[in-house]
Amino acid sequence: MVTHPLSPERPGRPRSPPSKRRRAAGATPEERTQPLCRGLGLRAPVKKSKCPSCPGERPPQGDAARLCAPGSPEPAARLELQAFREYGASWYRFRKGLESKFHPREPLAQQPQVTAEARCKLISWLIPVHRHFGFSFESLCLAVNTLDRFLTTTPVAADCFQLLGVTSLFIACKQVEVHLPRVKQLLALCCDVFSRQQLCNLECIILSKLHFNLGAPTINFFLEHFTHLRVESCQADAREANNAKALAKGMAELSMADYAFNEYAPSLLAICSLGLADQILHHQNPLDLHISGYPEEVLQDCTDKLHLLVSLNGDSLPHVLPPGYF
Amino acid sequence: MNKMKNFKRRFSLSVPRTETIEESLAEFTEQFNQLNNRKNEGHLQMGHLGRGFRAEPTSVSPSEVEGQSPTAVRYRRNNQRRFSMEDVSKRLSLPVDIRLPPEFLQKLQMDNPEFPKTFSRMSRRASLSDIGFGKLETYVKLEKLGEGTYATVFKGRSKLTGNLVALKEIRLEHEEGAPCTAIREVSLLKNLKHANIVTLHDFIHTDRSLTLVFEYLDNDLKQYLDNCGNLMNVHNVKIFLFQLLRGLSYCHKSKILHRDLKPQNLLINERGELKLADFGLARAKSIPTKTYSNEVVTLWYRPPDVLLGSTEYSTPIDMWGVGCIHYEMVTGRPMFPGSTVKEELHLIFRLLGTPTEVSWPGITSNEEFKGYHFTQYQAQPLINHAPRYLPGLMSTHTHLFLCFLQYEAKRRISAEEALRHRYFRALGDRVQLLPDNASVFSLKEIQLQKDPGYRGSAFQQSGRMLQQGTDP
Repeated sequence: MVTHPLSPERPGRPRSPPSKRRRAAGATPEERTQPLCRGLGLRAPVKKSKCPSCPGERPPQGDAARLCAPGSPEPAARLELQAFREYGASWYRFRKGLESKFHPREPLAQQPQVTAEARCKLISWLIPVHRHFGFSFESLCLAVNTLDRFLTTTPVAADCFQLLGVTSLFIACKQVEVHLPRVKQLLALCCDVFSRQQLCNLECIILSKLHFNLGAPTINFFLEHFTHLRVESCQADAREANNAKALAKGMAELSMADYAFNEYAPSLLAICSLGLADQILHHQNPLDLHISGYPEEVLQDCTDKLHLLVSLNGDSLPHVLPPGYF
Repeated sequence: MNKMKNFKRRFSLSVPRTETIEESLAEFTEQFNQLNNRKNEGHLQMGHLGRGFRAEPTSVSPSEVEGQSPTAVRYRRNNQRRFSMEDVSKRLSLPVDIRLPPEFLQKLQMDNPEFPKTFSRMSRRASLSDIGFGKLETYVKLEKLGEGTYATVFKGRSKLTGNLVALKEIRLEHEEGAPCTAIREVSLLKNLKHANIVTLHDFIHTDRSLTLVFEYLDNDLKQYLDNCGNLMNVHNVKIFLFQLLRGLSYCHKSKILHRDLKPQNLLINERGELKLADFGLARAKSIPTKTYSNEVVTLWYRPPDVLLGSTEYSTPIDMWGVGCIHYEMVTGRPMFPGSTVKEELHLIFRLLGTPTEVSWPGITSNEEFKGYHFTQYQAQPLINHAPRYLPGLMSTHTHLFLCFLQYEAKRRISAEEALRHRYFRALGDRVQLLPDNASVFSLKEIQLQKDPGYRGSAFQQSGRMLQQGTDP
């Protein structure tokens, strides 16, 4: 479980002191899974071994493995960069323009049963689940956004909250993934407590409640955007940029599970994660945070909270944090 | 929109509904009008008009009236405002091009003899769903237009507006829930608003199916070419290509790849407006490139890098198809009608020359390419195949065309750049400055010319024969 820098009962209030006991509860996202399943009635551990829909070419460890690999960009990255030069500014304008429409600030305000803690458990479970299937970070971001926006529309009973989680992930995957999970696999993740019919029905309900507005701008998009911008600027160090992005992604994952961070827009979280990553990694040419257009005090506030979150959950970022961080 | 939601929330459940759609709409519009104008106009509170109010045909209990905010019901002295179509659309956030029948507008003038222009009927209200949005009954199915793997398309008519619509009925009863193509198409189209992209008017969700209601366009480019005997006026080719690029540029600017461009997916109405349709394979381009499958574009319009197994998809994937469609409009026949990957590549290389390190850096080390052992063809002069790509006068035409058909993806011209190509200079400067939602035909200098093949049935015949002769 992600340790809250801010107590979940009072989102947005000054932080409660970090406690040793809570820190012990979280380890890597994978390890976090198990206790959660028991805690909230989230069923089924994530089986690491067999997974029909995750072909071998996609290693589950994600970006962590690539962290220290320097060298020239792959051809795909070059093509991407060229497209970025041409269209980057309008991509950013377009997403930025949609951001507030898709930003659920207080998804739990009207929820009688679902608490911030339950949300944290569910998302901390979805993180290793998405990684296990080899899904992109984009899918995870979309899933969490779909989940949150659905929560603003509909009261959800605690016993079907997990089903809502996997169904949101399912919808996100249908938007961006090539290899979709099977309904059967998703049901197995929940120890087959739910039926296929229930999942399909819930999918329909989500789609119609959200009026098919599913294409939210994500933290992932903004992380990519700011990193591209940085690589494009002449004095930047491509290796530093990529390392910062990998660490920032890890921090962004942590922040998604924490309800207190719901008040921050994805673009703000992205820029602050990158800035904080630069600080932690002692980069020579850190990213200029003002390219995001946010005022200094807003950046500072968000960065401070992220910093606290990372220091409380540093042990779940061992792959991306530098060795001497603690 | 918010006001509307409030209305709906406050009243939709409590008031028995007996009035017709038209009445609801009329009242609703009036309420809006009043709310918007109330600061400028003198008004009386509900209490001053007790008798008149009770004379209302709909029964509303006094408690309900009290439940409303005191400002919600009022008397207006100067309800002189005339309603225009534009007002109605604006107030109801209807699609810009929706046309309400004249009876509607007449009702909106509110010529009620008993309470001439003075009385507000705030006790009854409507929302978009009351006037029929989101309801299957609002649309009449006419004939079937086509059937795909996951959807059936019908021509239909909206009872609300009388307009023709295209109803795309998607079956939801699949093992794996809602088809991902439908989810992508709807969620992408909801964020895209452009004169050259098909408009999604409405969608209707039932237990068993999802029906997407699109604007109806008479033809697609394929049918258009057939109708004009595969001989298009070159000026019209230019206007169509410009519109295609406009729509595509807008998609690319929003980080969306269409990935399935072909004449059947370019719809054309009687004004000559061309719109991109069928976004089922489209995808928001914001994920790691490696995860794209390479089985997407119809073979004929698929670029050689993708045919050779490249998964590095980016905006140039759509530009190759634009070149092929351009050729098809000019010559009246598909450019590379291959039925297998090998045949498709062979047709491409025979015309444009087998790629070399010069024309395509890195190609000689491509394993797939080496495996095919293609003959070394020289590039053919285009004029041999398509006499209409004339040198001299038409050279800008040919130049742009070749910019689309570059082997190396990153050398292909982008949609944005292509719009500014000198080939389009003849259309004038103003087309470059049009807002997204304006049609090119809103400028009087842009007009279609008569296609030489159109009408003359003999011509059409020979055009068809020609096509049959050239198709393999």
